[in-house]
Amino acid sequence: MPLIIALQINLPSSNLPWLFAAFAVSWAVFFLYVIYVTRRQQEMQNQIRQLHRVLEQQEGREAD
Amino acid sequence: MARSEGIQELAFDSPVKWRELFRANGRTNIRACLLVLTGILMLVNLYMIFMVAPTDADLGHVQRIFYFHVPLAIVSFAAFLVVFVASVAYAVRRDARWDNLAHSAAEVGVVFITLALITGMIWAKPVWNAWWLWTPRLTTTLILWLIYVAYLMIRSYAPNPSKAAVYGAVIGIIGFADVLVVYFSVQWWPGIHPTPVVGPLADAGSLDGTMRNVLLFSMLTFLALLAYLIMERMALKDTEDKIRDLRITMRRARQDGLPGD
Repeated sequence: MPLIIALQINLPSSNLPWLFAAFAVSWAVFFLYVIYVTRRQQEMQNQIRQLHRVLEQQEGREAD
Repeated sequence: MARSEGIQELAFDSPVKWRELFRANGRTNIRACLLVLTGILMLVNLYMIFMVAPTDADLGHVQRIFYFHVPLAIVSFAAFLVVFVASVAYAVRRDARWDNLAHSAAEVGVVFITLALITGMIWAKPVWNAWWLWTPRLTTTLILWLIYVAYLMIRSYAPNPSKAAVYGAVIGIIGFADVLVVYFSVQWWPGIHPTPVVGPLADAGSLDGTMRNVLLFSMLTFLALLAYLIMERMALKDTEDKIRDLRITMRRARQDGLPGD
């Protein structure tokens, strides 16, 4: 028997699945948001490196 | 140094290397410190919610949603206060850093108010036997959510960053009025939604002492999380601005290099 159901039987007024749902949704949304921001930051850093390389190449061609 | 090389160099048994995680460019990395602090506070907060806070006599364990739902709502108000202050500062000084702060706080505030609405609905279903009731508190909170979603949408549809900043400042200043309406709504139009248990509108003795302490600790935890997320979002916006500037520089360099210019 799953733990949550077992606890609910012992505590009739608990409504534990609702409690679990509220906490799970909150944590999931925060983690997804942090992952989104961190991934975007990494993508942007890669873009900056690429743009710097292209800019250096352009400057090198102009110097030639 | 490449990122993968940096990760390979981090030896788990070396405290010196771990200390480097909290330093960036020779200075203390405030974001990393805040992230660790928030993580610790979150764990302590969960312990307090489930082990220290007493079980509500009427509602049972489902009442513990309160320790997430109320701080999420109040911290979203704090985020929108930051948007308001930063928008006023941008309107006066026209400094892009204030706009960056306002935009970041608005986005994080929308995450918090969205979660406040969702956790409220999850709490309402077993207690009120309905996911949603059009009470003044819920309706004004939904309007608040719509205002700040509109803030983000208008910014993203603006023709250029300076216009986005101006539009954002206007909505950030006017939109804050609804925060006050939400807060005072239960006093102006009393209904089924509980009245405030902390703050100037709270009645003395409306909340058990231990419950109040756990709630205040939870608010502190979410404030730390808010500060961390705003800083992380501001860093991302700085990087986006750097890319935009680099692209402009490249475009100019290409135009200068065209024959006949």
